[in-house]
Amino acid sequence: MNTEVSTSMKTEKEWEPRIIAYCCNWCSYAGADLAGTSRIQYPTNARIVRVNCTGRLSPEFVLAALNMGADGVLVSGCHPGDCHYTSGNLKARARWALMETAIEQAGVDPRRVRLQWASASEAQIFADGVKAIVEQVRELGPIRSEWK
Amino acid sequence: MTEKKQAALIVGGGVAGMQAALDIASQGFKVYLVERTPSIGGRMAQIDKTFPTLDCSACILTPKLSEVAHHKNITLLTYSEVGTVTGKSGDFRVRVRRKARFVKEDLCAGCGDCAAECPVEIPNEFDMNLGFRKAIYVGFPQATPNVYTVDKENCIDCGRCLKVCQRNAIDLEMKDKTMDLHVGAIIVATGFELFDVSQYPRLGYGHYANVIHAMEFERIINAAGPTHGHLVRLSDGKKPHSIGFIQCVGARDVQKGVPYCSRVCCMYSIKNAVMALEHYPDAEVWVYYADIRAFGKGFEEFYEMAKKRFGVKFVRGRVAEVMEGKNTGNLVVKVEDTESSKVRLIEHDMVVISPGVIPSEGMHTMATKMGIEQTDDGYVQIDHSFFGPILTKVPGVFVCGCADGPKDIPDSVSAGSAAAMKATIILSKGGV
Amino acid sequence: MSDAKEEPRIGVFVCHCGHNIAGTVNVAAVAEMARHLPHVAFATDEMFMCSDAGQTLIKEKIKELNLNRVVVASCSPRMHEPTFRRVVEEADVNRYLFDQVNLREHVSWCHSREPEKATEKAKDLVRMSVARAAKLEYLPIKSVDVIPKTLVVGGGIAGLRASLDIAERGFDVILVEKDSQLGGNVAKWTHLFPSDESGAQVIGPLIHDVKKHKRIKILVNSKVSEFDGYIGNFGVTIKNQSTGKAHRYEVGTVIVSTGFEPFKPVGYYGYGTSPDIVTLAELQEMEPGKQLLKSSDGKPVKKIVFIGCVGSREPGKKGHEHCSRHCCSATAKAAGDLRDRVDEALVLYQDIRTYGKGHEEFHRLARQKHVIYSKFPQDGHPEVEVKNGKIKLRWFDVLGGVELQFEPDLLVLASAMIPPVDMDETAKMFSLTRSGDGFFNPEHIKLAPLTTHTAGVMIAGAAQAAKNASESVIDASGAAAKAVGLMAQGKVEIESTVSHVLPDICSSCHTCVTACPYGAIAMDEEHDPPVAIVTEAKCKGCGTCAAACPSSAIVMYHSTDEQILTMVEAYLCATPGLQGGGSV
Ligand SMILES: Cc1cc2nc3c(=O)[nH]c(=O)nc-3n(C[C@H](O)[C@H](O)[C@H](O)COP(=O)(O)OP(=O)(O)OC[C@H]3O[C@@H](n4cnc5c(N)ncnc54)[C@H](O)[C@@H]3O)c2cc1C
Ligand SMILES: Cc1cc2nc3c(=O)[nH]c(=O)nc-3n(C[C@H](O)[C@H](O)[C@H](O)COP(=O)(O)OP(=O)(O)OC[C@H]3O[C@@H](n4cnc5c(N)ncnc54)[C@H](O)[C@@H]3O)c2cc1C
Ligand code: SF4
Ligand code: SF4
Ligand code: FES
Repeated sequence: MNTEVSTSMKTEKEWEPRIIAYCCNWCSYAGADLAGTSRIQYPTNARIVRVNCTGRLSPEFVLAALNMGADGVLVSGCHPGDCHYTSGNLKARARWALMETAIEQAGVDPRRVRLQWASASEAQIFADGVKAIVEQVRELGPIRSEWK
Repeated sequence: MTEKKQAALIVGGGVAGMQAALDIASQGFKVYLVERTPSIGGRMAQIDKTFPTLDCSACILTPKLSEVAHHKNITLLTYSEVGTVTGKSGDFRVRVRRKARFVKEDLCAGCGDCAAECPVEIPNEFDMNLGFRKAIYVGFPQATPNVYTVDKENCIDCGRCLKVCQRNAIDLEMKDKTMDLHVGAIIVATGFELFDVSQYPRLGYGHYANVIHAMEFERIINAAGPTHGHLVRLSDGKKPHSIGFIQCVGARDVQKGVPYCSRVCCMYSIKNAVMALEHYPDAEVWVYYADIRAFGKGFEEFYEMAKKRFGVKFVRGRVAEVMEGKNTGNLVVKVEDTESSKVRLIEHDMVVISPGVIPSEGMHTMATKMGIEQTDDGYVQIDHSFFGPILTKVPGVFVCGCADGPKDIPDSVSAGSAAAMKATIILSKGGV
Repeated sequence: MSDAKEEPRIGVFVCHCGHNIAGTVNVAAVAEMARHLPHVAFATDEMFMCSDAGQTLIKEKIKELNLNRVVVASCSPRMHEPTFRRVVEEADVNRYLFDQVNLREHVSWCHSREPEKATEKAKDLVRMSVARAAKLEYLPIKSVDVIPKTLVVGGGIAGLRASLDIAERGFDVILVEKDSQLGGNVAKWTHLFPSDESGAQVIGPLIHDVKKHKRIKILVNSKVSEFDGYIGNFGVTIKNQSTGKAHRYEVGTVIVSTGFEPFKPVGYYGYGTSPDIVTLAELQEMEPGKQLLKSSDGKPVKKIVFIGCVGSREPGKKGHEHCSRHCCSATAKAAGDLRDRVDEALVLYQDIRTYGKGHEEFHRLARQKHVIYSKFPQDGHPEVEVKNGKIKLRWFDVLGGVELQFEPDLLVLASAMIPPVDMDETAKMFSLTRSGDGFFNPEHIKLAPLTTHTAGVMIAGAAQAAKNASESVIDASGAAAKAVGLMAQGKVEIESTVSHVLPDICSSCHTCVTACPYGAIAMDEEHDPPVAIVTEAKCKGCGTCAAACPSSAIVMYHSTDEQILTMVEAYLCATPGLQGGGSV
């Protein structure tokens, strides 16, 4: 097991961004599935955590992930208006600004978090979203440098 | 639900027949599913990936196979054929011939000890004869039921399998049996056959080792197939760097008696072209076509993806001839590019012919037994395009999937459900 | 039955999926890693986990090793979670104690060029899932009765067929049509392919049978205005558009067959600038007299041109990328039929997609009658100029390699099938998603074309994708079979993944009551002080309430804060004690 630990905690030089991607089951998780079936290639850095709806995600989930050492967090849901539960994503969006402020106050660059909409048929948009956050985080460097 | 369960008979265990079986059984009626080969699954079990989203076929089909096999209302009669049919809607008497498989279905656990022992090796028809199987065999790993079958034509009666089978499941003396069924409705789901592309000698199939047809390609590219999924040429096992797909062979050709469009060839070739590029991203892949018929849900989008993202090259024109180069095993395709009106010669190291789809073997015999009509092309004649697209001319007998004409999987599945609906209307009215 | 309090004993099964996963991910290494994780009693890798052999293996290992949690690392749970849930249940492990890792769609297929990193990701995902599995809890399996009545929305050929089939099978139907008449689009067509009846001849008898059937209640001029409930027990309010009167019904299943609209191609080929430029749909409304007369000056049409793919097959243009499937055949039919009444008939096309039974034949017939077909390039569509009432057409004929010109008296545009204007409203009403073509997404594009992700709601006909009437009829019967399947069983299992308010922690703030989009939470006034209480039957499990609750008093079954965060932790803090469930 210890070998496992070392693979995920590489030295600074080999540092690879670690991203938590919360995806809603109905659109974005399915979009990620479609990216797979369409063989669209994107960076391996994100680990998808499936939730029913982005509405499920209170800011704590994002903060906790950053706190535990995620270099970035992606939240991906259905387009506004398309939420499987009618409006969960609108609530997620409404909370988002608040959360960004909270992150900033904790001294973390809010560019480490990304909220995006990707429908079940938007495999490319999903993949691009992952690419975007990985590149963004790569630019910002490891999160350890930021926490106060 | 009525006490005495009404029953339906389904002939053909491809994806259409399986869907029909499930939708009837889920209403509480009994289903007998008669399949001629040792396993259900039909053509879908043979293909590698599926358009338009490239799911692997086995992955989406396998659970369906086990769902059918385990459903308490479905009785699987594999390796069986319909003998005689009498009676009328609501009250059919059907005699089914259960061919001796020389292995007792209830005892065999599918362990394969027997096959390991069997000394006879013959080409496996499931792999389009490119791979090998023993004389006691299952066609493919997910065969359902997972029971071995002895192919008596090739068996040398050495009895070695008998000795190793720990469950004493093998009986080389087994005889064919008949079974009489009383059913209210019948669904014909006998699927299709491939057009024999050697009828076009100019295309070189059967003469040149590196000219294969699409189903062979599907097997070659399949991980469980004869080459373990390595896309190689049959002549020398080399990676092909350039592949040409030839469309509409044995389809849309009045002269060859197949005036109709086979509906799936455009799409399966685009799929296979994409899969070839998946394997070898720097390969060159060309498709020679007359029209690209990407008409189903998500098909046109898939076609665009093949062009734009994968770089499949599409050339409009009928291929005049395929020639083999000296010693190289390479092939030269002579095509009149109708968009530039030029005759072009293009070299490939592998050519894949897309065969059209024709009615399943024995369709005429079966149609006669049931009294159903056939079209000029040999498919089951439907009653009416709008009033009864799944009805045949005989009340109580329905048709779905490719038995009444070429269809892709979604259309076959939808038709399977529709046939189930029609059959259960009869079953629910009692009768039997 | 597994006891939730029991120490977790997890079995991990890593699937090769033939080459699909094993070709990229080192599955043996993943299983080896899993073997050493906390609570893991068994880990292995297998060729096909979903095959009979794989399923049997799971069941045997559960029995043999007394496993009480199962993790399968294979394909997307969106496909096979139901399969594996059934498998573990057959071995007496509660379905909610199963977790699936997506190594195929989310790893091997999208990282096929980076096998090492893919393997690393696979290991992480399995570790996360094992951590979650350890925290999973037993949930009861609930089933509900299915109301033996189906709501059919849309009275086109698909809706009519579905209604009739269900009624003939012995169940009640409510058929809602927003128009004042039943029949949908087919009713408008003068000559249908592939037979030769008029739409009215086909639709007439169907409407007659539907009207006559005592099990079918028809509501025209009406639309669904409210929809709630869950599979087997939907509540639906149907409002009459003209009287404004609304009525509530209870149904067990729903079939949405709201069809399509012919696209009005404003901005294409001069459409709208001359009365002699019409769509194929509008052509059907023109007087079918002996001679076709121009709308502009009433003179006979001598030269007619059809253009295909108008508003279809436009890469990059949202909602117009798809092929509309019916138009090639409809055009061939119309051109062939009209050929005798005009001097010249041309069809400009990109590909001729007369794929259906008998379609190729009447396409050939049209050519035999000297309808001229000319192919134009995908990137160079014909150009239309309207001057002094004259239509001038210029295009490049690909096959002849020449630029051509023509002055038709009538230009017919075979325009796309697009979703009806209120598609969005319908989608929201029934929580359906739409695919790129704008039509509804089926549950699975190949193997489940008629069901949707809203359990109990089916789709049929052109509402699912562009298709012809015969295909719509087949869909309709198929969707009817799905609805009847549910009703005939009489009972259906529903998800237990609902929310629950912990009364002791609830601070009576009402936040969740307003947050819930389904009105599933109310204040329990019996309780002192009043606390929030969830009506489980109404809850869909979105979790919005749990996110909103300021007191963290709401537990989402199967998606608890702990179950989610333990995965995050297992990925990020991969130290033994923190790997989820490990006792430190
Ligand atoms: C090369 C190729 C690739 C394809 N790829 C795709 C794809 O990617 N996506 C897609 O959607 N579609 C694809 N298709 C089409 C797909 O195979 C068919 O849609 C599907 O198999 C039709 O199912 P079916 O049940 O009607 O027929 P079948 O699959 O042919 O099944 C019919 C069954 O009936 C049995 N049978 C026949 N006669 C009798 C009899 N007399 N008595 C008892 N049993 C009998 C047969 O043994 C068989 O098991 C492809 C087709 C080909 C040829
Ligand atoms: C120009 C043209 C020619 C064609 N010719 C042929 C042909 O020759 N042969 C052939 O097979 N096919 C043909 N088609 C295709 C055929 O019209 C369709 O396949 C068929 O109409 C689909 O039937 P449907 O019932 O699914 O949808 P529709 O016919 O569109 O019916 C849908 C019904 O639902 C109603 N509705 C919609 N939304 C709501 C709502 N929210 N609430 C209540 N009701 C609602 C609508 O008012 C309508 O009555 C043609 C199509 C076009 C455009
Ligand atoms: S059916 Fe024919 S005309 Fe219609 S969009 Fe498809 S290809 Fe174009
Ligand atoms: S999870 Fe909460 S907000 Fe969502 S439906 Fe259930 S009770 Fe309402
Ligand atoms: S279900 Fe996707 S955001 Fe709500």
